Amino acid sequence: MRKLIEVLPLQFRVLYRQFLLRVIDLEALSIQADVVGYLGQFAGILIFYSLIQAVGALFSTLGPPPTPQALHIMAWHAEHSSIEIMMLVVGLISVITWDATFPDRRDVMVLSPLPVASRTILFAKIAASASILALAILALNFASSFAWSLVLAGMPDALRFLPAWWLAMIAASAFLYGSILTLQGLAALLLPRRLFLRLSATLQLAAFALFLSAYFLEPSVLDPNLFSDPNNHWILASSPTYWFFALFNQLNGTLPPQLAWLAQRATIGLAVVVTGAAASLLLCYLHTMKKTVEQPDLIPGAGGSHRSPRFGSALQTAIVLFSFRSLTRSRQHRVVFAFYLSVVFAIALSLLASELSSTGHPPLREDFIIPTLVMMSLAVVGLRAVFALPISLTANWVLRTTQLSPSEKYIAATRRTMLLLAVVPVWLLSALLSLSLRPWHHVLAHLAVLALLGYIFAELSLINFYKVPFTCSYLPGKTNIQVAFFGFIFVFLILAISFAPFEVRSLNDPALFASTMGAFLTLAIALWLFNRHRARSAVLYFEELPEVLIQTLGLGAIRPSDADLPSGRISAAGE
Amino acid sequence: MLELRRVTKHYSGIPAVDDVSFSARPGEVTGYLGPNGSGKSTTMKMITGLIEITLGHIYFEGKLIQDDLIAYKRRMGYVPEEPYLYNHLSGAEYLTMVAQLRNLPARQSSEQIDGLLRLLSLYDDRHASISGYSKGMRQKVLIAAALLHNPQLILLDEPFSGLDVASALVLRSLIQELAARGKVVLFSSHELDTVERVCSRVVILHRGKLVADDSIERLRSLMELPTLEAIFSQLAVEQDSVSMARQIADLIHA
Repeated sequence: MRKLIEVLPLQFRVLYRQFLLRVIDLEALSIQADVVGYLGQFAGILIFYSLIQAVGALFSTLGPPPTPQALHIMAWHAEHSSIEIMMLVVGLISVITWDATFPDRRDVMVLSPLPVASRTILFAKIAASASILALAILALNFASSFAWSLVLAGMPDALRFLPAWWLAMIAASAFLYGSILTLQGLAALLLPRRLFLRLSATLQLAAFALFLSAYFLEPSVLDPNLFSDPNNHWILASSPTYWFFALFNQLNGTLPPQLAWLAQRATIGLAVVVTGAAASLLLCYLHTMKKTVEQPDLIPGAGGSHRSPRFGSALQTAIVLFSFRSLTRSRQHRVVFAFYLSVVFAIALSLLASELSSTGHPPLREDFIIPTLVMMSLAVVGLRAVFALPISLTANWVLRTTQLSPSEKYIAATRRTMLLLAVVPVWLLSALLSLSLRPWHHVLAHLAVLALLGYIFAELSLINFYKVPFTCSYLPGKTNIQVAFFGFIFVFLILAISFAPFEVRSLNDPALFASTMGAFLTLAIALWLFNRHRARSAVLYFEELPEVLIQTLGLGAIRPSDADLPSGRISAAGE
Repeated sequence: MLELRRVTKHYSGIPAVDDVSFSARPGEVTGYLGPNGSGKSTTMKMITGLIEITLGHIYFEGKLIQDDLIAYKRRMGYVPEEPYLYNHLSGAEYLTMVAQLRNLPARQSSEQIDGLLRLLSLYDDRHASISGYSKGMRQKVLIAAALLHNPQLILLDEPFSGLDVASALVLRSLIQELAARGKVVLFSSHELDTVERVCSRVVILHRGKLVADDSIERLRSLMELPTLEAIFSQLAVEQDSVSMARQIADLIHA
C-alpha cells in the first residue's frame, strides 16, 4: 500500500493531505490535529448504526419463519430504508463538506503562483472528497450488508446480493454527491463570484433542509399493491431512493419487470449527474480560478435596514449579536451546530409528519413530550459545544482591551445568548407543533415545563464556562463528538423517556403538577444562584491549556514574577 | 502621563524587555523605536494589559494600571501591530460591537461610527465583510475602533501599515492634533521619517534594553548626527547593511 501511494506524484500527495484536512474541518482543527482520530470518531457513529442494523436483522430470524409474502415486504423495507439512510448520510456529508471540492480564494492565491497544474489540484480535491464518501459507505454498510445478505438471500444467493448491495449504495451515493457538485458548479460558473458566495450559504442550508425533509416526509409505498397504484406513480418517478432501490433489485435479479423503468431512471440519472459533475468541475478549474482572483470576495452591503436589535444591556447585545453572527456566517460553526440541529430538525419533521397524518385534535401524549424534551436538550448541548470552538483567536485582543465590565456580566451575556439562540427557538418550534393538540391547558402546562427545563439545561451547560462564546482556543480532541453524541442518545433519551409518563400523570393531577413545577423552579433558581456566585470570582479566559500532568510543589510561587500569574492559566495574546 | 518603571518581561527566563523605564507626557507624541525583536510590541502589550509584567510597574496618571485595569482600559485606545479583526463581521458591525463593549451610548456612538467611517473613506463598504477588506481598510477600522471612545492614552503600534499616501497624511496630522489636545500618544514605527516629523521625543530600544530617551533635537546635538535615521543606525543597528545585501545577492547567485 505504501509503495502504491509513493507511486503517486508528490504534489498530489501533499495537496491530498491538505485538502483532506480541510474537507473535515477548515480552521477549527490545528495543523497537528489528529485527523485519523477525528475520522475514526465520524466512522464510529456510522459503524454503530451499521451494527445495530445487523443485530436487528439477525434477531428477526429468531421467531417463526415468515411467509414468503412477509419476507418479501420485509426485504423491500430493509433495502429501501438502507438506501434512504445511505443517501441521507451522503446528503449530510455533502452539506458538511460544502464548497470543499471547489477552489476557494485561498487555494487560488496560495497555489496559483506555484508550479502546480490545475488538474493536480482538481484530482487531489476529488480524491479527498471521495475518501470521506468511501469511508461513510464502508462504515455504514460493513456489518448490515452481510447480515441482510444472510437473512434476506441466504447462501448461495448472498454471493449475488452482496455485490448488488454495494454497487447500489455506491451508485446512490455518487448520484447524490454528483448532483450537489453539479448544482454548485453551475452556480459558480454562471453567477458573478460575489453573488455565488452569497447564494452558496443559502443553497447549503436549503440542501440540508431538503435532505432531512425528504427522508422524514417521503411517503412509503413499499407494498406490491401500492406500487401499482397510479396515484403513487409520481412518488416513485420523482424519488431517487426508489430509483436506486429498483437498481439494487435489478442487479440482484429480484426486480418485478413492471418496475424496470425505475432502475432505468437510476442509470440515466447517474450518468447525467456524473457527466454534469465532471464537466462543471473541469470548467470550474479552467475558468473560475481566474475569476476568483479577478473578482474579489468583497460583498457590498445589501439594501435595507442594518439596524441591530437590542438584547438587554450594550454588553449583552454585543455578545448575543457576535455569537449569532459567528454561528450564521462561519461555515465550520454552522456545520458543527447543524450536526446537533439535524437531530432536532429530524424530530420536528417526524412530529409534523405525524400531525399531518392525524385527524382532529389528538391529546397531548408521551410521544409528543419525549421528542420536545430531546430537542431542547440537544439544542442546548449542541450550542454549548459549538461555543467552545474559536472563530478567530488572533482577533480576541479587542475583547481583552475592552473588558470594562466584571466577568459576571460577560457570563450573564453568554447565558442570555444560550437562551435566545437555543432555548427560545426550540420552545417556539414546540409551541407551533403543539397547535393541533388538546386540551389547551395540558399543552400550556407542557410548554411551561419545557421552558423551565430549557432554562435548567442552559444553566447546567454553563457551569465552569467562563469564556465569551467563540473566543477560547480549542484543544483538538477535547470536544469528543462521539462521546457527546452517544451521551445525548443514552442519557437524555433515557431521562426523557422516564420523565414523560410522570409528566402525563401530573397533567391530570394539579397538585402533582404544582409540586413538579415548584421543584423545577427551585432547581432553576438554585442553579442561577450557584452560577452567579461562581461567576463573581471567575476570570474570563481565552486559552484552553492542557491539564498539567506533573504535580509541582508550588515553590515558584515565592518568585514575584510567578506569583503575579493567575493559577492554572496564562495570558493568551502574545505569549 | 504614562510612566514605565523598571519594566521587565521574561519568556521562559529569557528577557524580552529588560529593565525599561520611560514616560510619555500629555501634549507630546512619544516615538517608541527599535529593530525587529527589540521588545517594542511586547512593551506595547504590557502597557495595554494584554500580557503580564514579570517585574516593574506601569503607571498612568500616577496610578498603577493593574490596580484598576478596567478604569485604565476605559481611557486607553490601542492600534495593534497586526490588523487582526473578526473577519466575519462587517466594518460597521465591528465598530458597533466595540462601542457596545465599551458601553458607549448607542445613539452617540452610532453617529460617531458613521462619521469616522465617512472620514476614513470606509462608508461605502461599511456593510461588507472585513474578510474582503484590503490591509489599509483594516488598518482604518483599527484606528476608528481605537479612537471611538475619545481615549486619553493612545497607543499606536505601526499605525501606518498598509495605508495609502492620502490616508497616511491624514493620520499623521491626526496624531499631532490629538497630542495638541492634551492626549498622551505613544507611537511605535519603523518609518523613521514619519517619526521624525510627528514625534517630539523618542525612546529607542535595542535587544530589550533602553538605549535612548530624549527629544529628537537633543539627541541630534548630543550625538552630532543630522537625522533620526543616523541616530537609530548608530544605536540600534548592528550589521553593515551594504555588506549584508551583498552577501545575500552573492548567495542567490551561487
